[in-house]
Amino acid sequence: MSIRSHLQRTAAAITTSLLLALPLHASERTLDSAYGPVKISGTAQRVVALGDSALDAALSLGIQPVGTLASRGGDDVPDYLKTTAGKITLVGSVREPNLEAILRLQPDLVLASSDLSRDLYAKLSLMAPTVVPTGNSFQDWRKTYLTYAQALGKQEEGQQRLAEIDKRSAELRHRLPQGQAVSVVRWNPQGPVIMSSHLFVGQLLNDLGLRANELAAAQAQKPHSDVLSLENLSRINADWIFLATLNPDGRKALEDARKQPAFTRLSAVVDGHVVTVDGQIWSSSSGYLAAQQVLDDVEKALLD
Amino acid sequence: MLAARLSVPQALSYTAVCLLLLCVASLLLGAGDIGILPSLQALLGGSDEDARFIVFELRWVRTELALLVGLALGAAGVLLQAVTRNPLAEPGLLGVSAGASFAVVLAINLGASAASLHLGVAMLGSLVGCVLVLLVTRMRGVGDDPVRLVLAGAAFSSMLGALSSLLLLWDQRTADEMRFWVIGALAGRPLDTLDWSLPGLLGGLLMALLVVRPLAALALGERVASGLGHHPQLTRLGTLLAVAILVGTATAAAGPIAFIGLIVPYIARRLVGSDIRRTLGLSMLLGPCVLLLADVISRLLVRPYELPVGVVTAFVGAPILIAVVRNHRLPTL
Repeated sequence: MSIRSHLQRTAAAITTSLLLALPLHASERTLDSAYGPVKISGTAQRVVALGDSALDAALSLGIQPVGTLASRGGDDVPDYLKTTAGKITLVGSVREPNLEAILRLQPDLVLASSDLSRDLYAKLSLMAPTVVPTGNSFQDWRKTYLTYAQALGKQEEGQQRLAEIDKRSAELRHRLPQGQAVSVVRWNPQGPVIMSSHLFVGQLLNDLGLRANELAAAQAQKPHSDVLSLENLSRINADWIFLATLNPDGRKALEDARKQPAFTRLSAVVDGHVVTVDGQIWSSSSGYLAAQQVLDDVEKALLD
Repeated sequence: MLAARLSVPQALSYTAVCLLLLCVASLLLGAGDIGILPSLQALLGGSDEDARFIVFELRWVRTELALLVGLALGAAGVLLQAVTRNPLAEPGLLGVSAGASFAVVLAINLGASAASLHLGVAMLGSLVGCVLVLLVTRMRGVGDDPVRLVLAGAAFSSMLGALSSLLLLWDQRTADEMRFWVIGALAGRPLDTLDWSLPGLLGGLLMALLVVRPLAALALGERVASGLGHHPQLTRLGTLLAVAILVGTATAAAGPIAFIGLIVPYIARRLVGSDIRRTLGLSMLLGPCVLLLADVISRLLVRPYELPVGVVTAFVGAPILIAVVRNHRLPTL
């Protein structure tokens, strides 16, 4: 027997055995993550979602994580996910995940945010496969969402969800007035900050054919601007201003802003085109459920 | 004691000219696109709507506020240095401002929000801070050592700062509102701030005028003061009450702004010597000067954004603090 035919037979045998073995290990998969490839097998039963985006992704795919972090600026699961999340254990805050609390939950998968430190990653991956999406919050939010979906073994469902969002924004885009400028602002009495238009919400608004205000578009490196001088308040002006507030009572933030004459003379304010929105969605989360909420908010504000 | 280099009227008139110039600068300079020339035109009755708005509605208001807060902090600094006989005593360093802002943070956390309530709460907080300062100065080995007193104050300040951060951690949603109470600013204060803080300022100054003579006598020693018919203890309490009212008012109006109470008496002493009867009046002009200068700088450094003025005063104040400490002939007041 020639060496060549021997090799062929061996290759055939390997292929056959691989094919036979495949159904058994169908869910064994390797994911590209920020800190190298991660091996995951089976469907995770005890998922810990570190961050609002990870929690959003898991819940939108019908998976109930066992643990998550208190959202930025809050002490609980973000309001918009509260009902869907149900009873869930908090394992620290975005700033400081509590490793012991996570270990106690005995996770079999950890979904982390893209800015998780290498140090924490090293410790977490000793407990369970830990997925840190590549890139940062400035990249297409769909990519992060899909990474989580893949990690959960729900790539197809994930893609369907994204297609739903794309379909809905395309449909909404037709009904919206085109070329309207928008800005997303967080109000401080000493001066507001404007959110970068390159993040999750900015991407969605762009898909809707809305134009980012100039200063928001200029924030290509930072999630939001520094505190703007009140003298330059006109730079937050747009056809529509979305006032993102971390306070549950958005009206109070608007009232505060209205006390400032520099704010009340903006054309958007004069026209009544200021909309208060949930800052937990509009300034710190991303994902399918958040996207639906943003589209709801825009539809309600611009079309009703 | 430093020799007086200028007569009081001379020093007062030089400072008054400086103050006038700084007021004009404060109206003409800003982080916005309205430069000096359009601002000047608006000031002289030009019709550019935007320029008029920025000069009269934004810069004018914060200039007035800087005058009020600078005056209060300058006077409070001189009084506090006199009563503790310590050239490093400063409401910000000794924890008086921290007391005021912690009280406000606590009140907001408990559900208060009316601005006028802030004033009373801040005064109460700074009064508590003042009483602690008084207690510390009575401690053997601490009260008579300027640096140790400041160390005690720094410890007290950082404790209050930690407590404030703790409250912020509990209730992070109000963090944006609270940030103001951690480092002060003159921009964007509600329009009625001046209305309710003016009575506080006047009350504090009235109190200061009452104690200035006994305080000067106290500088010569307790026995001399008693011999001249003054009550040393009553004088101290009265002075601290004046400081509490002034610092409480300033903090409620503009948040904690450190180092003004250190910079101002330092300059005043250099100009006219250390007698409080000479420095108090001068410090009331120097305070607004220093604060206005810091505020103008805070607008120009990071245009089109702004720094809180408290950051700038710290940058100016810290070197002066070091200079005073390094000066081997630390003046005993």
